[in-house]
Amino acid sequence: MKLRILLADDHEIVRRGLRALLEKHEGWEVCGEASDGREAIEKALQLKPDVVIVDIGMPSLNGLETTRQLLQHDSQFKVIVLTITDSDQVIREALDAGARGFVLKSDAARDLVSAVEALQNKRMFFTPRVNDLVLAGFLEKGQTFARNEAPKLPTLTAREREITQLLAEGNSSKEVASLLNLSTKTVETHRSNIMRKLSFHSIRDLVVYAIKNNLIQIDIPAAPKTTNGPTAA
Amino acid sequence: MTIRILLVDDHPIVRHGLKTILEGHSTWEVVGEASDGAEALDKAGKLHPDVIVLDVTMPTMNGLEACRALRKRFPHLEILFVTQHDSPQMMREALDAGGRGYVVKSNAARDLLEAVEAVSQHRVFTALNGRNLA
Repeated sequence: MKLRILLADDHEIVRRGLRALLEKHEGWEVCGEASDGREAIEKALQLKPDVVIVDIGMPSLNGLETTRQLLQHDSQFKVIVLTITDSDQVIREALDAGARGFVLKSDAARDLVSAVEALQNKRMFFTPRVNDLVLAGFLEKGQTFARNEAPKLPTLTAREREITQLLAEGNSSKEVASLLNLSTKTVETHRSNIMRKLSFHSIRDLVVYAIKNNLIQIDIPAAPKTTNGPTAA
Repeated sequence: MTIRILLVDDHPIVRHGLKTILEGHSTWEVVGEASDGAEALDKAGKLHPDVIVLDVTMPTMNGLEACRALRKRFPHLEILFVTQHDSPQMMREALDAGGRGYVVKSNAARDLLEAVEAVSQHRVFTALNGRNLA
C-alpha cells in the first residue's frame, strides 16, 4: 500500500516542487494539497494521510497552530514542518506543537525525502541544528529550553492564538467571526481576553506579538541595489 | 517552437516547481539550473538558452545585477523575472535592468507558460497580483 502524503504550503509553485520531489519516490503518493492551515486540517481529517507536511508561514492559520490542532484531533497524525528559519524559538515551538520532522525549506530538496522515510519508519527527523539544541537541552537538564524565551504562547488558548493571527493579519472582528463561524460578539470577547491577558492596548501591540511569536511572518523587502540581500522563497 | 530555458533561483524546491510547470510544454526544454547570478552568467555562456527565468533575491549576485550583466554579454537572450515581490516598484527596476517579463511567484503556476511564450517572442509580459498586463 502506498504511503499517502498531504502537502500544505501557501505557494503553489513550492507545492509543485514538493510534489515532484516526493512522487519520484516509489510507493509514495501526494493524496492532497492545501494552501492554508484550515484547509490542511479539513483535508487531513477527510483524507487521513500517513504524513502531513506543513509550511510554518501560512496565512490564516500558521503551520505551528495547524500542527497543534491536527494532533489535538488525532494524536496519530505525523507532521513534518517546513520552515525558512531554524531559530531556537521556532525549533522549540515546532517540537512543542508535536512535529516529528523539521526541515528547512532551503534544504527540502535534500532532506525532505529522508524526513518522510524517517517518519515512515516510526522515527523522527530534525536538522543538525535541532539535534544540537535538543542535545544541549538534555545536557543542561532542560535549562536551555527555559532560557531566553519570548513571551510564552501557552498563556493563550488555541482559539485565542488563532484569533490573534487573524487580527494581526488585518482582519476586523467581524471578518474573523465570519472566517471562524462565530458570532462577532464571541470574537469581541476573545479579543478583549487576549488584550487583557497580554496587557496590550492596541492592535499594533498584537501585531508585534504575532510577529515575535511566529504567528505571522512578514516578507522582508529585498535590497535590490546590494549584492547580499535577504533570501526568501 | 523549441525554447531553451535556464532556471535561476536559490531554492532548489522552487526550481523543481518551476521545472514541473515548464516541462508540461512538450517543445520547451529546461537546459540547466543555477542558484545565483554568477552561476547564471556562467551557464548562460555554456548552454545558450533562449530565455532565462530569474529570481530577484539571491545570494552572491542578485537577479537585477545578473540581468544587467546577462543583457550586456548576451543581448539576444530574453529574461523573465519570477519573484515573490508583488511590487510595481520592483517591477520597474526589473524592466529597467533589462528584463522582458515579470511574474509574481505566488501566481507562477497561472502566469509562467504565457510569460515564457511572450518573452521568447520578444514581447513584454508583466503581471502583478492584480494581473496588470503591460
